[in-house]
Amino acid sequence: MNILTYARLAWQRHANLRRLAALAGIGATLAMTIPNAQAVPSYARQTGSECAACHVGGYGPQLTPYGIRFKINGYTDSDGKDGKIPLSAMMVVNATRTAKDAPEADKVEHFNGNNNVAMQEASVFVAGKLADNIGSFVQVTYSGVDRTYALDQADVRYARSLKLGDKEMTVGVSLNTNPTLTDPFNTLGQWRFPYTQSDFNPGFGPAAPKVESLGGGVMGVNAYAFYDDSLYAELGLYNNLSKKALNVFNTEDQGKFKGLGTYGRIAYFKDRKRDNFSFGLFGFSADIQDRADPGPADKYRDLGLDASYQYLGNRQHIFTANASYVREWQRLNATLAGADDVHNSIDQFRAAGSYHFDQTWGGTVGLFDLRGKSNSSLYSSVDDTTGLVTNGSINGRPNTRGYILQADWTPWGKEGSWGNGWANVRVGIQYTGYNRFMGGSTYLDNDGNERRARDNNTTMLFLWTSI
Amino acid sequence: MKKQAISLLFCLSATLLAAPSWATGDARKGADVFAEECGDCHSAAAGKNKKGPSLNGVFGRKAGSVTDFSGYSEAMKQSGITWAADKVDAYITQPRKVVAGGKMKYDGLGDAAARADVIAYLMSVK
Repeated sequence: MNILTYARLAWQRHANLRRLAALAGIGATLAMTIPNAQAVPSYARQTGSECAACHVGGYGPQLTPYGIRFKINGYTDSDGKDGKIPLSAMMVVNATRTAKDAPEADKVEHFNGNNNVAMQEASVFVAGKLADNIGSFVQVTYSGVDRTYALDQADVRYARSLKLGDKEMTVGVSLNTNPTLTDPFNTLGQWRFPYTQSDFNPGFGPAAPKVESLGGGVMGVNAYAFYDDSLYAELGLYNNLSKKALNVFNTEDQGKFKGLGTYGRIAYFKDRKRDNFSFGLFGFSADIQDRADPGPADKYRDLGLDASYQYLGNRQHIFTANASYVREWQRLNATLAGADDVHNSIDQFRAAGSYHFDQTWGGTVGLFDLRGKSNSSLYSSVDDTTGLVTNGSINGRPNTRGYILQADWTPWGKEGSWGNGWANVRVGIQYTGYNRFMGGSTYLDNDGNERRARDNNTTMLFLWTSI
Repeated sequence: MKKQAISLLFCLSATLLAAPSWATGDARKGADVFAEECGDCHSAAAGKNKKGPSLNGVFGRKAGSVTDFSGYSEAMKQSGITWAADKVDAYITQPRKVVAGGKMKYDGLGDAAARADVIAYLMSVK
C-alpha cells in the first residue's frame, strides 16, 4: 500500500479523514515514517577514512563515535587536503512482496497490487566541507514510486571548538529542514532503524509524533553544544515553509505554525573506545493551524527518552542497541473543532538491536509499538446514518505493533576495500511483521473490507548503493 | 665460572626487569588495540592518510614530516620529536602534555600494557 495514495484516496472519499488530512497531515506523517536511506562517500573522500570508520557495518547511517563527532564538527573534518568535491549520489532499488495484495483503493499508480520492483529513490547530495567551519548534508531525491523530485533533507552547519578551562566544547548552528535530522545519535525519528524501507510497506501506523513527521515542510535554526566529548545539548526554532517554498522544494505542506515550533534535546554520551553509550531527553512543541483557514490551532507537545549502546571492540564483532519512547499530548482545537473532547495522545516505542561481523555481514531486529486513545474522528470513518465504521480502525485506536528483521551484506566500505571512498553497496532482505495495525489484529481497509494486520506483512529485497 | 654465570644471569634479569614496558608488547594484541583506539583516524598502511597521518614506518620518523599529509599542527611540526618507542609511549599516554597545541583529539591511553602492545604492532608493520 502506498502511503500517499492511501491519504489521497482517503481524502476523496471520507469527510472525517479529510479533516484529519487537512490539519494533521496524515499522508505526510506516514510518508515521513518511511525512512530515507543515506550513505555518503563524499565524506569518506574528504576524511580519507573508510565508510566503516563513521558507520556501523560499513554503511550508513548508523554512526560510530567517530561519525558522531564528524557530524557535530559540522561535516568539516578532513585529511587536510584541499580540492575535495562535496558531491555524492545514491540509489535504492527494491523488490517488495506483501502477504496479501493491496486493496484496489490503495494500489500505487504505475504499479501492481503486489510483487513490485522499483527504483525507489535516486538522490544527489551536496555533502561535505564548504568552508573551514561550514559543512552540509543536503539531499535532493527522485522517487521512482511517486515519480517526483523533492528536497529530501537539508542540514547546513557552522561549527567550531572552544576551550572552557581545560575542557573542550564544540558549538554550532544548523539551518535544517527537519527537527531530528540534526541529532547525532541513531535513536530519534530521522536516523533510527529501519534505515531503508519499501514505499509499498504500510508503515508504522496512522499517527506519529510531530517531532518526527515534519520533514521537508519546515525550516529551523538550531544551536547546539557538545561539552567535554560527553554532554550534548541542542535548541531549535522551526517555522513552516511558505507555499512558494513548498512548491520549489516539492515538499509536503505541514500546515501553518502559530508562533514558532520549539525543539529541545539533551543527551549524555560516553565513549570508552571499546564501547560507548548515550541516553537523553528530547521534546518538541508546536501550534499548527490550517493554512487555508487559519483559526484555532492544534497544539502538539512531545516529550521523549532515548538510549543507545554500541560494543565496537576491534570492529570484528559489533553489537548495538537503540531505543526511544515518545509521548505526544495533542489538543486538536482545529481538527476536532466542535467535538466533545479535543484532547488526544499517542505513545510511541521503538527499539532495535544489531550484530555485524567483520563490518560486512549484518543482522538487525527492530520493534515498533504505537498506541493512542480511542478517537474515531481521527482513525476511522463512520457512516453518519448507521453509525458503523466503514473504514480504518474498528475500535477507534491507532494501535500498531510489530517487528522488523533484516539481514544484509556490505562487501565494501572497509579500509582496503575495492572502491574505498568512491563506491559502496549494501544488499539485504527485510521482513516486517504486524501484530496490530490500525487498532487491532483486524481493521477495515480502504475498500471497506476487513483486513488482518498480518496481511500487511512485507518482505523486501533491496540493493542500496552510493558513490 | 659458576660465579660468572650467576653474575651474568643477575645482569640479564636486571636488564629485563629494567626494560621499559613497550619492549615487551604483543603485536597481535596491539592490532586490536590499534583498531579500538587509533584506527578511525590513522591507518597502518603505507601512504594511507586519514584525519591523521599514516603510522606505517613511524619509528625513526621526524614528527610532522609525512610529506603528503597536510593536517599537522604547527605545534607538532615544531616539536622536534623523532619518533622512537619511548616517545610514542609518552605521546599516546598524554598527547596534549607532550605536544601542547597539537590537533589530535585523544585523551590518552592509560594502560601501559596496551600501549606496549600497540607499539609492538606498529613496529611490526614498518
